Amino acid sequence: MALFVSNGLLGPPALDKPTAESLFTLNGLLGPSLASASVSAAGPSDQFLQNGPVSEASNNIQVGPTFTPNGLLSSGTLERAHVSVESDEDSSPTAAQAVGIRTQNNLRYLIPAKTFDGKAVYFNRKPKITKQKGSLRGSARMANLLDVPIHRLIDAISVETAAKLQEADHQSVASTPDPQTTEDTLWVDRYRPRQFADLMGNERVAREVMAWVKQWDWCVFGKTQGKKRPRDDDQEYDTGDEYRRPREKLLLLSGPPGLGKTSLAHVIARQAGYEVMEINASDARSGSVVDDRIRPALESGRAVGSTKPVLLIIDEIDGATGTGENSSTFIHKLVHLTQDKTSRKGRSKNRDPNAKRPILRPIICICNDQNAASLAKLRPHCLQIRFARPADIHTVKRLREVCTIEGLKADSRAITTLVGIARGDLRGCLNTLQFIKSRNQDVTEAIIRRATVGMKEAETSLVSVINGLFTPLTQKRVKELGMTEVEESKYVVRLSREIDGCGRESSIAVGCFAHYATLHQHDATFSRYEKANEWLITFDLLSAAMYSDGDFALSPYIPYTLVPFYPLFKERNGQRVERSVVDWESQVQTRANQEIYKSLARCLQAASTRHGGDYRHFSSTPVLQLEFAPYINRIISPPLRPVNSQVIKPEERVLLARLVDIMATLELQFFQERTEDGQLAYRLDPPIDVFITYDGKRAADIPVSRYAVRHLVAGEIEAQLIARKVDVVERGKRGKHDSLFGKSSTANSGHREPASSPTKASDGVATPPNKRARTQVPAVDIADKPPTDFFGRLITVQSSSTTKAAARKNVEKKYRVTYRFNEGNSAAVRKPMKMNSFM
Amino acid sequence: MSLWVDKFRPRTLDDLHYHERLSARLKSLAASGDFPHMLFYGPSGAGKKTRITCTLRQLFGPGVEKLKIDQRVFLTPSKRKIEVNLVTSNFHIEITPSEAGNYDRVVIQELLKEIAQTQQVDLNAKQRFKVVIINEADSLSRDAQAALRRTMEKYMSNMRVILCANSTSRLIAPIKSRCLLMRVPAPSDSEMETVLTHVAKRAYFDLPPEVAQDIIKDSGGNMRKAVLVLEALKMQSPDLSGPLTIAKSDWESYCQKIANLIVTEQTPARVMEIRTKFYELLSHCIPPTVILKTVAEAVVSQVDETLKAEIIHWAAFYEVRMRIGSKKIYHLEAWVVKVMSLYKQSFYQFDISDF
Repeated sequence: MALFVSNGLLGPPALDKPTAESLFTLNGLLGPSLASASVSAAGPSDQFLQNGPVSEASNNIQVGPTFTPNGLLSSGTLERAHVSVESDEDSSPTAAQAVGIRTQNNLRYLIPAKTFDGKAVYFNRKPKITKQKGSLRGSARMANLLDVPIHRLIDAISVETAAKLQEADHQSVASTPDPQTTEDTLWVDRYRPRQFADLMGNERVAREVMAWVKQWDWCVFGKTQGKKRPRDDDQEYDTGDEYRRPREKLLLLSGPPGLGKTSLAHVIARQAGYEVMEINASDARSGSVVDDRIRPALESGRAVGSTKPVLLIIDEIDGATGTGENSSTFIHKLVHLTQDKTSRKGRSKNRDPNAKRPILRPIICICNDQNAASLAKLRPHCLQIRFARPADIHTVKRLREVCTIEGLKADSRAITTLVGIARGDLRGCLNTLQFIKSRNQDVTEAIIRRATVGMKEAETSLVSVINGLFTPLTQKRVKELGMTEVEESKYVVRLSREIDGCGRESSIAVGCFAHYATLHQHDATFSRYEKANEWLITFDLLSAAMYSDGDFALSPYIPYTLVPFYPLFKERNGQRVERSVVDWESQVQTRANQEIYKSLARCLQAASTRHGGDYRHFSSTPVLQLEFAPYINRIISPPLRPVNSQVIKPEERVLLARLVDIMATLELQFFQERTEDGQLAYRLDPPIDVFITYDGKRAADIPVSRYAVRHLVAGEIEAQLIARKVDVVERGKRGKHDSLFGKSSTANSGHREPASSPTKASDGVATPPNKRARTQVPAVDIADKPPTDFFGRLITVQSSSTTKAAARKNVEKKYRVTYRFNEGNSAAVRKPMKMNSFM
Repeated sequence: MSLWVDKFRPRTLDDLHYHERLSARLKSLAASGDFPHMLFYGPSGAGKKTRITCTLRQLFGPGVEKLKIDQRVFLTPSKRKIEVNLVTSNFHIEITPSEAGNYDRVVIQELLKEIAQTQQVDLNAKQRFKVVIINEADSLSRDAQAALRRTMEKYMSNMRVILCANSTSRLIAPIKSRCLLMRVPAPSDSEMETVLTHVAKRAYFDLPPEVAQDIIKDSGGNMRKAVLVLEALKMQSPDLSGPLTIAKSDWESYCQKIANLIVTEQTPARVMEIRTKFYELLSHCIPPTVILKTVAEAVVSQVDETLKAEIIHWAAFYEVRMRIGSKKIYHLEAWVVKVMSLYKQSFYQFDISDF
């Protein structure tokens, strides 16, 4: 912390009130002095470090127990211009740097950078960590020297300081009323990080986010900006994208509350030169918001009244609408927004003003639960960055600094406890500290425990609850919570509360169900498995009763039904339970298949309307799934050879005709599609072949029909469907003509030219004249057919069954000659004819 | 073009191939002019619906075959719209109230009252009443059945109800007592063979008797399934020569596979393996009760005599719970674990739990 401020270049100091005595100002003072002084690299660092304890002894009363070399420097050698800087090791110096210093020495340790407005900035390289190392090394060395272990010493010191604090406090309370009793801002706001360098803990995360935002530079700020550093041209952006945007156009930050996700996003956005537009839970977040607010802002590229480009932060996105299949949900629209491609390139002048333009500004989404159901659609389109809890030591340090500034006497053990209980939630810690401060108390462990009683039951995530069910508490956590052994062994209340607090019992049950059988525990008789299943079933019956009858008085009992997994399966050091997606995937799959069944049922209904109720008995629930679906798949996959429809054998022709008839009746079709590897393939629609596909394999007895066969069949089906449509149209027309013009249709037939071939005569009677041109075309094809087929019995069977309900009664008359005209895709007219009309 | 099941479905009572006594009885009932409410029940594919349509034809003549199929939208009390398919002729109406799910009561109330309150207007009609066919009557909710019972009495003059169900056990007693119960048992093997040869003759080919026997053995008394299998077979190998394999439906062979897994190994890893298979079946919308029953039967056929009763007992036990509960996979797995533990115990001939 201290070091970052030392730069002084990045902006105003992070802390509002630098007090001259404190560590923090060290840098400001040192800066100028360094500028003038020649920095001499002197002394190996070890020696330097060894000074630590010695000088500390002299000043720890003013500054507090600090082990950092910095602390020593500040108090001890502040006035002197000669600062000894360790330089031998590649670990960096801790000296602060003023703007624009370019001493050769220093350049090695500095990272040059530029701010948005072009000012040169130098970052220290990782000073924090080296400091840490140094102190650790020092203490380790000391451990060898001391006969009392160092942690005992630290404990002793902290107890001592606590006692001292108390004393001092007593005096001060007695003497002066605290001037700061009225506080106008929350500490959370006061110590919110203002710049990139203020960010604490998750450096990797911060850098990743920054890198992603930087990838937009080319798109947002134009070509010049990004070009300067050649190493940026590492193909991070989507090469197909004319705007050179990053591949993922959304960034999803996720992590537990209080770690500073929102602050991080704001800081980085500002640092990268954007104006932030935030949409959070306080705004309406229905799908219309995307259209009304987000799109205009992103398209114009600037916030109202600002010159900077806008960056959108969508906070708490897991609360937005988006779970359903509905396409108007927030998430859905957002995904759409990012996928909009410029179909017409910017060059074309006359482009539609309403056409959707692509977004050219970055969007950062923030959520707590990365796995929230509503985000399922969003996840594949995002660059996901997880926010992990930073190491406690960072949090503790920051809190101690805050305490020092606020004049709160804090005992470091107490703060460590606080951080442990809050699980790294910095916001919660700060609030607690402020609360303690407002009561003018010191921070001691006891007070922390009292103040954080409620925090223990803070909202728990699904995964952590399931983990709690399968693994006992770690010793560390037990200590953090200050539980005794007896308390620890009593698990029922603890776990049931946890489950209740999570509020997603059914998901927990699914999690338990998914996990229990993966445990490698010896269970020869399955007795534990039986018990576990008993409990799961009890849970299921109870919750089913509760939801079906609306009897929510049962809900208090439900958590208890899941607790037994703990005694049955608890395992120290067991593998962490991951969220299982099997159940969810199966549900999704089920839903998809139900849709297919529904569309199949619709096809059946359509077929039954056309065929006098013939297929209707198949569409009832169990019959459809159990009998119809498996066998229709077999019926529609006969062994056909992939040959031209003109040359196939007569018996195959019968087979083909029947297949086409059935498929056309059920409106099953083959659609041509290009597969991923660019090959053409025919896909069945509705895809009822999923019902014979188990474990991703088709049933063995059904051969996969080849492309050529499907091509043949698809052509025939299409022809038949078109013919059917024409039939309907014709019939409709005829009806109209009859009613409107009386005998116009017969008049038409009179006008017709004399039939030169049977084909033309076939539509003689009722076809309106506009059909005439087309009827002449296919005469050639007829000749190709084998003459035996022309009046043959096979054709008769076929056509008699395909003719409409009106002709059905005639099916039984065997020797009625029918002529069937049905060739290609020509929408040719087809109708039954009497023999004598040909004569 | 229709499938053979529909194409060669008998249209009149005289055409029916089996249960002649039942046909004769129906005929005399239709002739008597005093036609009661009826409840047809029997296993799936035995020919209930065929008999119902034949009876209707006997009652009203060929006019009942002029069918119109349309959808009607009903509004539930909570203003939700539900669509129900209606198959109607001038003389009858056919509904499947289970399409409406929990709201079948609404359908029954509105539709039946509407029909019951209008008299037959066609003066040439043979009968003064209309017939309402209710399919899948055993999945009617209790509310719907209660709504039905009064209507059946009150509007007897205008309307007859024919219920079609797989079993009577889930119908309330008042309904059963108002109906004439007609049991349609599954056809015997020889009866099925006559039907199959008849179908083959109508489709112009000869069915070898051994193939017919295979089909019959596989179909388990389900005529519809048998004819479907026959058509599939004919389609897949048109000349019916060579070694023919009767296509088993995929879910059945999959259930068989699960049963084999249960019997061959009893370990937690196997439990997981079976679980994924159950998920696969469930995602194919196979009813979980059917899965449990099929797997149980397959397991029973492979285990020791002493275990059979036990396994079926637990299958029944878990099926009851499954019907009450909502998350089916728990119950399926609970049964598998139970069976595995039973099997292990009997395999080692002693009770390991003592150790």
